[in-house]
Amino acid sequence: MTSLNQTLIRTARLIAMAGATAALTACVSVKMPAPAASAANVEKLRAAKAAPSQVGTFKLAAGKPADMDTTLGGLRGSSVQPTAGTFSAQLRDELSAELKAAGLLDAASPIVIEGELTDSRVDAAIGTGTGRLAARFVVKRGGQKVFDKELAAESSWESSFVGATAIPAAINQYGALYKSLIGKLLDDGEFRAAIKG
Amino acid sequence: MYAIVRRASLARALCTVALAMGLTGCVSVYVDNKLPEVPASQFAKPAQPQPVQLFFEFQTKGVQNQRGTAMLKDRIAEQVRSSGVFASVSDGPVDGGATLSIVMDNVPTSDDAFRKGFVTGLTFGLAGSQVGDGYLCTATYRPAGAAEPIVKKARNVLWSTVGAAATPPGAVKAESIDAAMTAISRQVVSNVLNDVTHDPAFR
Repeated sequence: MTSLNQTLIRTARLIAMAGATAALTACVSVKMPAPAASAANVEKLRAAKAAPSQVGTFKLAAGKPADMDTTLGGLRGSSVQPTAGTFSAQLRDELSAELKAAGLLDAASPIVIEGELTDSRVDAAIGTGTGRLAARFVVKRGGQKVFDKELAAESSWESSFVGATAIPAAINQYGALYKSLIGKLLDDGEFRAAIKG
Repeated sequence: MYAIVRRASLARALCTVALAMGLTGCVSVYVDNKLPEVPASQFAKPAQPQPVQLFFEFQTKGVQNQRGTAMLKDRIAEQVRSSGVFASVSDGPVDGGATLSIVMDNVPTSDDAFRKGFVTGLTFGLAGSQVGDGYLCTATYRPAGAAEPIVKKARNVLWSTVGAAATPPGAVKAESIDAAMTAISRQVVSNVLNDVTHDPAFR
């Protein structure tokens, strides 16, 4: 059986799942689901023996295009909306979900984690799709800055020429970058030292 | 030259989508029946069930799929909750600190990731107009204070056929894609839960 036939059947099933209207327009607009904690990141927090922390302001980094925080191109005409209105808030909520699931989210904690979105992009190109999410994270303890670093999560994948296959794959890959970026933050030795109990 | 290639690629894409759209009404889905759902009554429930923090993640070829996770999360939680294995099932920390992570990964049956490490029992390599999607479920249970987690795996296959293709042998036709996903998730989750509870380290 040819790979084209397999693509055809999977595409037909995707279209059946997505609904005829979406298929006809070939452009979809999806809202990212509310963040949920992952076992892997919660395990990292517990292994780090982190102290309870609060999540402060997350915003777009200075000098970046304003629409980086609200819109996402590279999806062949389709779009992705962040849950809380901005992608920087999406990142904030992802981190909050992990801390909460680990029992480490405390709005009154003297440890404050803040962030600035520095990059957010995805490209559902024919052949190879790419995605990147980056942010500068700052940790303050009692008002003193103890951590300040920019981290990035990237991915690339095989991207179909069929939009009905490529677009959901790209949306999926972009969404996964948030857990991946939080994971990189939790893996950072200096960050772990900054939030240690 | 680039413009010509782009136009050819676009034309091919449009033709494929048009063909696929024409086939939408002819797609049938089947669930491989070699992994039936295990009734909760067969689980080895502890004398004193303990609370557990539940994590669920749906993946597509190893990559977290947020929308799939959101779609199935509540169903999985309800299945675990109603099994009676745990005193309570929460998405936050629980007394004792036990955690149960369930990951369901959707991979093509042709992928090595789906074939490796399992005794052949499922139907592979169907020819013709049939496509198999594998669902590999991994449950990781970490009792409080345990050095090692209990890890159990199960897998099943969703077959899609087009038009008048023959029914895949050993598969049951589902009423809809949603019904097929419900059946598959219940089957694989019940099997890993059953295996976890029968592990000597499970208390």
